Amino acid sequence: MSTQYSILFKQEHAHDDAIWTAAWGKSEADGSETIVTGSLDDMVKVWKWSDEKLELQWTLEGHQLGVVSVDISHNGAIAASSSLDAHIRLWDLESGKQIKSMDAGPVDAWTVAFSPDSKYIATGSHLGKVNIFGVESGKKEYSLDTRGKFILSIAYSPDGKYLASGAIDGIINIFDIATGKLLHTLEGHAMPIRSLTFSPDSQLLVTASDDGYIKIYDVQHANLAGTLSGHGSWVLNVAFSPDDTHFVSSSSDKSVKVWDASSRACINTFFDHQDQVWSVKYNSTGSKIISAGDDRAIHIYDCPM
Amino acid sequence: MASFGWKRKAGEKVSKSVVQKFEAEEDKAAQDPGDEEVDWVHAVKRRRELLLEDCATRSKRLKDEGAALAEQGRHWEALKKWDEAIQMTPDDPVLYEMKSQVLTILQEVFPAVKAAEMAVKFRPLWWEGWQTLGRAQLNLGEVDLAVRSFQVAIHLCPSERTLWQEDLRWAWRLQRQQSATKEKIRQEEETKRQIDNAPELSRDYDDFESDEVLAACVAVAERQTRYEEMRRTAVIVDAEGNVVTEAEGSGDAAAPAKEQFVKARGL
Repeated sequence: MSTQYSILFKQEHAHDDAIWTAAWGKSEADGSETIVTGSLDDMVKVWKWSDEKLELQWTLEGHQLGVVSVDISHNGAIAASSSLDAHIRLWDLESGKQIKSMDAGPVDAWTVAFSPDSKYIATGSHLGKVNIFGVESGKKEYSLDTRGKFILSIAYSPDGKYLASGAIDGIINIFDIATGKLLHTLEGHAMPIRSLTFSPDSQLLVTASDDGYIKIYDVQHANLAGTLSGHGSWVLNVAFSPDDTHFVSSSSDKSVKVWDASSRACINTFFDHQDQVWSVKYNSTGSKIISAGDDRAIHIYDCPM
Repeated sequence: MASFGWKRKAGEKVSKSVVQKFEAEEDKAAQDPGDEEVDWVHAVKRRRELLLEDCATRSKRLKDEGAALAEQGRHWEALKKWDEAIQMTPDDPVLYEMKSQVLTILQEVFPAVKAAEMAVKFRPLWWEGWQTLGRAQLNLGEVDLAVRSFQVAIHLCPSERTLWQEDLRWAWRLQRQQSATKEKIRQEEETKRQIDNAPELSRDYDDFESDEVLAACVAVAERQTRYEEMRRTAVIVDAEGNVVTEAEGSGDAAAPAKEQFVKARGL
């Protein structure tokens, strides 16, 4: 256990082009830690994290254009990826084989997110609809309509009650999943929302926007609980620590910042990337952070516990 | 008076006319006998600020003048204005982006790519810069690079429909067409090479067992037919952008070509 924030590992040239997305999962079967990355080079790569280093396990070919988003199911067995060719693909992480390929329709596969029970995948569409695909069926099961603009970001609350979406015009929508009803519409940002994330207790929603701010909302009452500044450019990604105490953000100002969830202060800034940092995630315990971006590098950081 | 060189301090990025203007002013100031009490340190500072401000306003004016000229179709004159503006403000991405568009119109394909590259270098989060770069690259025939630039643009601003429906779709179709054509040429060459240098014949048929020789001949003949078929097909990309290889003409593919027998006999 480390007592301070530090960079632990760098994988330079992890892809042949910019890395746009990354996910960190843990296998329920054998407890192994898996990292999945997606890149503008059309590839999805699967890495094993063991003995404090990354090892390339699979290079998954199939997408014909850049990979925009990846996610790992909560049991760590399946990865989902979406790309600019409008296909969502499901991959078996054990065998490295493609399980399914779903045609989401033109312009209709941006962020992919597994539901907490991993039975569904949600993705936003350009007409402001959240489409829910069945993992088993490989088909669109239903959709939630925000009646808004292009949806850039999607997040399920860990308790499975809510789904939040962030649109290109800065509007945030929160749905009740059980009823399919739109609960709240928040107009906190005036610029695209590239990422949002719920706290592990599902009480807070953190949003990242091109306006350079991070906002924190109280989910139940739809109140703005805080506005955080610090990044010098677009905030591209946010992720909450599993222990509920911190969250992390990445930006096109090339930095990765760790924030204290209760004091809302930035407690550490990593300035290790050479270019925009598109993706940042915690591991399952919150002891590590992964970041990746336009410099094609994957960084792993140590967090004090 | 101590040496006071605008030239040296201003460097090359400032156009000659500005330097001359300031030098003239400086000379005038130096000749002015009533200026004995001037605080020169602060005057220098004030003048440098004035110079920067002047550059920005002049650049803006030149930019607007260039834009007006470009709208009237006077493209070369517009370029001249913008080049002057770039001298004043060398890191303004908008100037390079406009320049690239006009260079593309003038079919100056390579300078257009260069200009757009400067635009995205100075403002990498500007999707329009990437769109212009992609279009310039496509004009240069760099399809792969264009597809990449359009993807970067879409990633920055996915709600921009023209990027999807015009730019990326068209460039991606060209890319697939190109790679399908390359693959077909490769296959054709590979088959041709095998006809000329059949792997079946590299074996040493010392006992000349008729079955084996016959099988080898059949294999060679089959390959020849396949080659002929390949020569008759063309790579076509349909409206949806799917690559299909289609037989050209109505010639019966099953009918053996004449040359085939000549080659087979030549063994």
